[in-house]
Amino acid sequence: MASRREKFTRGWWFILPGITLMVLIVGAPLAMGFYYSLHDVFLYSFRNQVFVGLENYRRVLEDPLYINALRITTIFTIGCLVFAVGLGILIAFLLNARQVKFRSMWLALFLIPFVMTPVVGGIAWRFFIWQQEFGVVNQVISLFGGDMRYWLLDRETALLATIITNSWHLTPLSVLVFYAALTTIPDELHEAGRVDGAGPFQALWYIVLPMLRPHILFVSIIIITSAFREFDMIWALTGGGPGRSTTVLSIFAYNRGIANQDMGMANTIAFTMFVIMATVAWLYITVYRRRFQEH
Amino acid sequence: MTPRTRKRLNVWVVHALLGIWVIICLLPPVMLVAASLNRTALFRTPLDLLTFRDFSLENFQVAFTRGDFWFFFTNSVIISSAAVVITLVVCVPLAYGLTKISGRTRQAVSFGVLAMRFIPYVVLALPLFLIFVNLGLSGSRFGLLLAHLSIHIPFATWMLVGFFDTVPHELEEAGIVDGCSPWNLFWDVSLPVVRSGVIALAILVFIISWNEYLFALFLAGNDAQPLTVGITRFLGGTEAGAEYGIIAAYAVLVIAPVILFALFANRYIVSGMTAGAVKG
Repeated sequence: MASRREKFTRGWWFILPGITLMVLIVGAPLAMGFYYSLHDVFLYSFRNQVFVGLENYRRVLEDPLYINALRITTIFTIGCLVFAVGLGILIAFLLNARQVKFRSMWLALFLIPFVMTPVVGGIAWRFFIWQQEFGVVNQVISLFGGDMRYWLLDRETALLATIITNSWHLTPLSVLVFYAALTTIPDELHEAGRVDGAGPFQALWYIVLPMLRPHILFVSIIIITSAFREFDMIWALTGGGPGRSTTVLSIFAYNRGIANQDMGMANTIAFTMFVIMATVAWLYITVYRRRFQEH
Repeated sequence: MTPRTRKRLNVWVVHALLGIWVIICLLPPVMLVAASLNRTALFRTPLDLLTFRDFSLENFQVAFTRGDFWFFFTNSVIISSAAVVITLVVCVPLAYGLTKISGRTRQAVSFGVLAMRFIPYVVLALPLFLIFVNLGLSGSRFGLLLAHLSIHIPFATWMLVGFFDTVPHELEEAGIVDGCSPWNLFWDVSLPVVRSGVIALAILVFIISWNEYLFALFLAGNDAQPLTVGITRFLGGTEAGAEYGIIAAYAVLVIAPVILFALFANRYIVSGMTAGAVKG
């Protein structure tokens, strides 16, 4: 056996090159982002950077447009979370039913929305699903005699449509994780449920859901981080419009920084996103440790 | 209802619901394929497009020739492949090393890696834009590659630690008794055990890079634009006159490789995506 000390140094030889690169490649932009957020930086006079302290943060927090973007991002994130986790549990549960065969084939098909390029997914949904006259949704609605809607062009429905589209993209992830977790639930448990006369929904509620709790937490955190930073899908669907009804923080920061050339404010907006996500990450790790690892 | 008929009904309900979900999953890509193979794709209902009554490969011909398809394609292939190679070279030893250091340090470093995974991309993209302008890297493939690595390295390290944790201690202890060097222990003893995990990671990193749009929009300038930026230029209508069919053909070409991965390498993708779930 190697001594403790030897073991220690042996690990570090493998770690150091990678850690150095990681700190450089992630830490440097992060630090520079914070630096720029304390300055007035404009793209048209980039050399002329004025230190303003926390002034940018004060301006951002008083900006109704920022509050609006924050509100929309929150709705978007929670909407995607609810859809993706709910559908994910349901579909994984169905897929795990005893009678279902060819499960790996089903899974492979379920995977496609997740791997499909989000920009292209957004374009496909915009042209063929949400389109106001010939889109699938309106075609189906008119089949049942309902009113066709301008889904992506209407302030009332645009956010809902982007949430549904992004949930379509994220649900495969939760299906996979929940399905993998369900296959580890011993058959005896289902058998016991059946003997006690539990129907499928009672089984889902009383047997499956309690077993899935740690996995629900894991999937939730992945979906929250992914939806919170989403840019590609929304950009391809609506570009942040109509009006500002789908302008999430990522798009808001892009507009400020690249379109308005106000890099100081853009970095400030982005850095508040980082703080929010860091808090969420910290909460997740604390909860996870306390709940599921101590015992 | 006898129990037997109820059972049969259940089978039907389960399959019907799964079938509906498959249709929802596949509808967008299938519509893209249908629209790309019809000469006139505008102002036709989905069902009408699926009859292929105006079948033609013309859209693909236009997508290939008009609007620099091969230029975008080359950029995408180079950046994605380089990202895979560098991520593996950097992260495999890093993750292995992390499983070898003592408890508290390991926990601190793992927390750092996990925290980096939560960073919204736009937080990195904005300062990188300015840094690259300073360094003269804006609009270069190398700059875009660096940006991709900033999301791949935390992700890959986190995932690989999960795989290396499954290597039984006894294996390495046997290796130490046999007089293996630290390098041999890594390369000849542990690495072969996690080989399928490394393949899974390589595929996922390739897909993420291939699909990436935000960094490309910020950092690619004119010379490093990948396919995801290429297709949005088509949308602007300058190259395709906003013709659905041509845009759809272009979109099909963009998603073809990732769809093939999903269909033929799904075993790896599934194992990679569920890897973290077990241990969190």
